[in-house]
Amino acid sequence: MAQDPDSTPSLLDSLGEEIIRIVAPVSACMLLVVLLVSTLSSSTSPLSSLAAAAYSDPSSSSSAASIWDKLSGALLSSLVFIASVTLLTFLLVLLFYLRCTRFLKSYMAFSSFVVLAFLGGEILLLLVTHFSFPIDAITFSLLLLNFSVVGVMAVFMTKMPISVNQGYLVIIGVLVAYWFTLLPEWTTWALLVAMALYDLAAVLLPGGPLRLLVELAISRDEDIPALVYEARPVEPRPGARRRLWRERRDYGTNSGSNANPSSLGNMSPVTDERRDLGTNSSLNSNNSMTGEALPETRLVISEQESAGGSSRSELRAPLVQTQLDSRGEGEIEGIGLGSSGAIKLGLGDFIFYSVLVGRAAMYDFMTVYACYLAIIAGLGITLLLLAFYRKALPALPVSIMLGVFVYFLTRVLLEVFVVQCSTNLLMF
Amino acid sequence: MEGRGQHEEDEERRHLGGSGLILRRDAAGSGGGGGGGGDSDPSSHQWPTVDGPLGLSEEESVAYARRFFLWGFALLPLLWAVNCFYFWPVLRSRPSSSPSSFSRIRPYVLRSAIGFLVFAVLLSSWVLIFLIGGEHLFGPVWQDLVMYNLADRLGLAGWV
Repeated sequence: MAQDPDSTPSLLDSLGEEIIRIVAPVSACMLLVVLLVSTLSSSTSPLSSLAAAAYSDPSSSSSAASIWDKLSGALLSSLVFIASVTLLTFLLVLLFYLRCTRFLKSYMAFSSFVVLAFLGGEILLLLVTHFSFPIDAITFSLLLLNFSVVGVMAVFMTKMPISVNQGYLVIIGVLVAYWFTLLPEWTTWALLVAMALYDLAAVLLPGGPLRLLVELAISRDEDIPALVYEARPVEPRPGARRRLWRERRDYGTNSGSNANPSSLGNMSPVTDERRDLGTNSSLNSNNSMTGEALPETRLVISEQESAGGSSRSELRAPLVQTQLDSRGEGEIEGIGLGSSGAIKLGLGDFIFYSVLVGRAAMYDFMTVYACYLAIIAGLGITLLLLAFYRKALPALPVSIMLGVFVYFLTRVLLEVFVVQCSTNLLMF
Repeated sequence: MEGRGQHEEDEERRHLGGSGLILRRDAAGSGGGGGGGGDSDPSSHQWPTVDGPLGLSEEESVAYARRFFLWGFALLPLLWAVNCFYFWPVLRSRPSSSPSSFSRIRPYVLRSAIGFLVFAVLLSSWVLIFLIGGEHLFGPVWQDLVMYNLADRLGLAGWV
């Protein structure tokens, strides 16, 4: 079988397609959060939120508080949050180690239900009140019930259409991100930076909880019960078949273990999972193809091997091998290749990117555009680093650092410039 | 296009290989010689779910279709809608040309579709009556039923 002469451009095509399939939901999540923030932030006062009460810092009180007070308050709040996240992640590792999978899964289902029903209901209610939309209580509660029950089923329980599953994951990300934007300003920024650093530490340090979790999952060949967005696998190019990983365990883990602070009581931790890459035996190929959010192992399997070494597979093997080497695994923190070759991104990454952009939206749309571009650039860089290093890398740090940096630069420098130009009618 | 067909066929074979159906299907394919519509021809194999090769196999489809149909009765018409969406290829294929397995899935999906339509009609008529009729029709009860008043009264919107 002759090698397809346009296999080279199609490599780029499929790579681009895969990146699009991950960037699109991240962008959709950010867009929805920005929309929510811009419609609702005018109507809620920052002090009335439960989040503000839990993390009250001097910035929410008089503006006469000094910079130092605000900063120290914010740092303290974020430290508390990081500490609770670390504890919860270690707890998760312990439970996973003790094989309490059923408990973990039902807990995750419960927490998604709480997020969808209560937080989702809250936000819907705020929207209804804001627009004074005359919907009656019966319809509202019926719709909310449907929405949340089907959401829990889609995310955790049954096999559902992939689009429904992906849609609900994005919605959960939007809801949690919106809730985080209700925190006071300094706290949000401190929290973002702290989470990025925590992510870096937790994934790369040998004692980090996320790394432990991933290694445990890999060694047991199990799946971690968590909320992970999995993109649809891209169809392999004709003649190229699937990417195969033979006996290779590469892990891409993504960061983003978020646990809502336990002090709030009604919120339960939502943990994301990093994606792992692992090789699977050929018998599991059909599992891999289902592309579910909880695959047995994320590995691309040798289809050729499962087909019993037909002549086609022999011919294909060298093609695949070269692809394997040239493509890298595309595991980015949070992004990894699923067993079907799909990319996975943990929900925590969605959430924190959207929090950054949502917070930028509270200032002005100019910062939104700048931060969005910075985050997407950071995502691309992380992908590149992942392909280069081929091991688990955290997805948050690069994007968050770039985003925060760009936000402050825009506020301080760009805004003045653009406003001056616009008011003097100087366009460029 | 043919590459894609081959790819599908391969995927299907792999997929079916796992569920143990491959031998029968291949035998039927080679024995039937392509007769009988798309059923016996592996390159145009029809998947019961909208996800295609990534979705469910046919046995699982029957189980899932039934489960979604039954759970929909718990005041969950959205589940019926999801059922119809999920098994759209089953709904869309004509009974004569579809594989035999579809005929087991089809009754559940059809009934879910009917249930969802009925429910949607009822709900939308209620919503429209409520919206358009407003206070003229209902009197002061309208003010009690409308969501934003209820939220204010019960303080529901305050805890975020």
